[in-house]
Amino acid sequence: MSATAAKRIKIKSQERLGALMREHFLDLDEAARDPQRRVAWCTSVGPCEILTAMGFETYFPENHGALLGARRVSHELIPRAVAIGYCAESCSYMTSDIGSTLAGVSPLTEAFGIDGPPNPDLLVYSTNQCREVQDWWGFHGRRTDAAVMGVCPPSHLGEVTREHVAFVSGLLERLVEKIEHRFGATLDRDRLKEVVALSSRASALWRQVLDTARARPAALTFFDGVIHMAPVILMRGSQKAIDYYETLLAELNQRIADGVGGIPEERFRIYWEGMPIWPKVRELAEKFFDLRTVVAASTYCNSWAFDEYDGGDPIEWMARTSIEIFINRDEVSKQKFLSEMFNRFEIDGAIFHNARTCPNNTNSRFGMAQRVRDEMDMPVLVLDGDLSDVRFFSTAQTMTNIEAFIEQLEECKR
Amino acid sequence: MSGALYVGVDLGSSATKCVVLDETTTLVGYHVVKSGFDYVEAGQVALHHALAKAEGEPADVAYCVSTGYGRERVALANRRVTEITCHARGAREWYPAVRNIIDVGGQDTKVIRLSEGGRMADYRMNAKCAAGTGTFLESTAHKLDLSLQQLDELAMTSTEPAVVNSYCTVFAGTEVIERIKEGQPARDIAMGLFRSIATRVSEMLAVRDGAVAVTGGVAAHCRALVRALEEVLETEVLLPPMPQYAGAFGAALLATETNDAERSSTSHVAHR
Ligand code: SF4
Repeated sequence: MSATAAKRIKIKSQERLGALMREHFLDLDEAARDPQRRVAWCTSVGPCEILTAMGFETYFPENHGALLGARRVSHELIPRAVAIGYCAESCSYMTSDIGSTLAGVSPLTEAFGIDGPPNPDLLVYSTNQCREVQDWWGFHGRRTDAAVMGVCPPSHLGEVTREHVAFVSGLLERLVEKIEHRFGATLDRDRLKEVVALSSRASALWRQVLDTARARPAALTFFDGVIHMAPVILMRGSQKAIDYYETLLAELNQRIADGVGGIPEERFRIYWEGMPIWPKVRELAEKFFDLRTVVAASTYCNSWAFDEYDGGDPIEWMARTSIEIFINRDEVSKQKFLSEMFNRFEIDGAIFHNARTCPNNTNSRFGMAQRVRDEMDMPVLVLDGDLSDVRFFSTAQTMTNIEAFIEQLEECKR
Repeated sequence: MSGALYVGVDLGSSATKCVVLDETTTLVGYHVVKSGFDYVEAGQVALHHALAKAEGEPADVAYCVSTGYGRERVALANRRVTEITCHARGAREWYPAVRNIIDVGGQDTKVIRLSEGGRMADYRMNAKCAAGTGTFLESTAHKLDLSLQQLDELAMTSTEPAVVNSYCTVFAGTEVIERIKEGQPARDIAMGLFRSIATRVSEMLAVRDGAVAVTGGVAAHCRALVRALEEVLETEVLLPPMPQYAGAFGAALLATETNDAERSSTSHVAHR
């Protein structure tokens, strides 16, 4: 069977995911209108479990940024943010989200029939991923009555020590105090334990889902992963995410049993380092499909695969997982992680996405791609692009680059 | 003409090149035309003339490999291969010991690194902007009301090249105006432009070990580029006999190397 004749076999759970997302956003919309309920916005690897345990409904603006990119409207909205002083080369999640707010349009309207993001009562960020979120949340803080509260943990860590964890636990405790003070609520520690246990369970299942790409052929690809990761970000800390991943995992395990892969007759296995290129996800998926090459693993999808919770102090678990994430680590730790991933997924070549507007998620900027090539003997390719803004992306050049990379891998194999 | 012919068509953004080899990989025909607006037509015209030189006809073509930005538009192609692999293959034939190949094309500039065994080990393409490419030279020459050839001739008489630093073609144009305002001689400004391309290339050259080969249309027409590269990279720059045809030549060589099994296989690039 030739690749062109082969058809992509859809992951059936995707339908369920659509319904789940719909339900989630309709409920958020309702919560924002209900004076009895409160909505907190949170960064994607921020302290959302505390917010859930304190009764807030959580909303994640980065998901909105991704949605704006995937719907290919970012480049139309970014100019609105640039016009009020946000640099066109700063985070395009941020600039497109700000642009969307200024223009009063949101892809959530078309997708779920709601006006747009739910109005926030509270805006919480953690700079464990980047400083940009602080500025982004600041914009929304100035335009609404919502309180902005941030956690700034130590970054670029090598080994994560007990001292680091204790320090961040302290930051989280102070955050709790501030929320309690502002909203007159109390954090129920048992409830937090429950939420953290649910979060950890969803995350563990997510890791197992990603691991199905270790099979040959890989049961899912990076391009499937970026769609199916939504629940582990938006709904972690809820049973809904767990139920979803149990179903998805069963389906993917069945695929493995049946020898069905995301790419039939896969020839090469690629690692994707850096952000997705949201407006081009489909085109890239098709390109790799044609090349019979599977993007089997990525740093991005793994960002929500946390260590399991052991039933101890939930704040401590949150502190540790929040600073252990790849993006918050030093170069040595990052390279060690990459090396483990290459072995785990039997990777033939690594693609580094140089996302123009996201320096923190772009590791090719400081020579890591070359070091990976030289030290790990791994063929590497650096692709220029952006997470959302297509103006930084050339389709023809990128596709040629990818094809040439596969030709290089073919030559290596000969 | 008797015997099988092997064809490489390089449909680039500015020019379309065609090379015809016989069974002994001897060059028997070649031709170049402007790509213009109709890529299909450009491919056909280049092929027609190259075949005529080879005293052959389409029925004699045993295998055809297309390359370049318009590689999808070459109807006769049995296989499509990127210009990166093809330039590497072409240059390696001319200079088997060379490890770095620089291709300065119309839309982009590439630096290809070969392994000791001559395999493609790594490559880099210029990022996004046209600075460092043939388009950059052409547009700046145009602004100065010069042809590319005139720009080259002028640059070759330079004694003290002007500094043109900008990463951006538009800003580089502004810099040129600045240099004119300062009263710098035209010859030095012209050489400054070639130097700026060479500087961009130097950023893509990770390992410097001996002579480099330069291919592509710009190198074919501009001696000043070769000189600028030599000065900036501080190494010998080898200019092959037909630099503009390196991609098409490499494609034709790949056509001769495609074995029977590969021909009948459903390789991803075949018959797409
Ligand atoms: S990590 Fe990158 S994409 Fe995410 S918010 Fe920060 S700058 Fe934007």
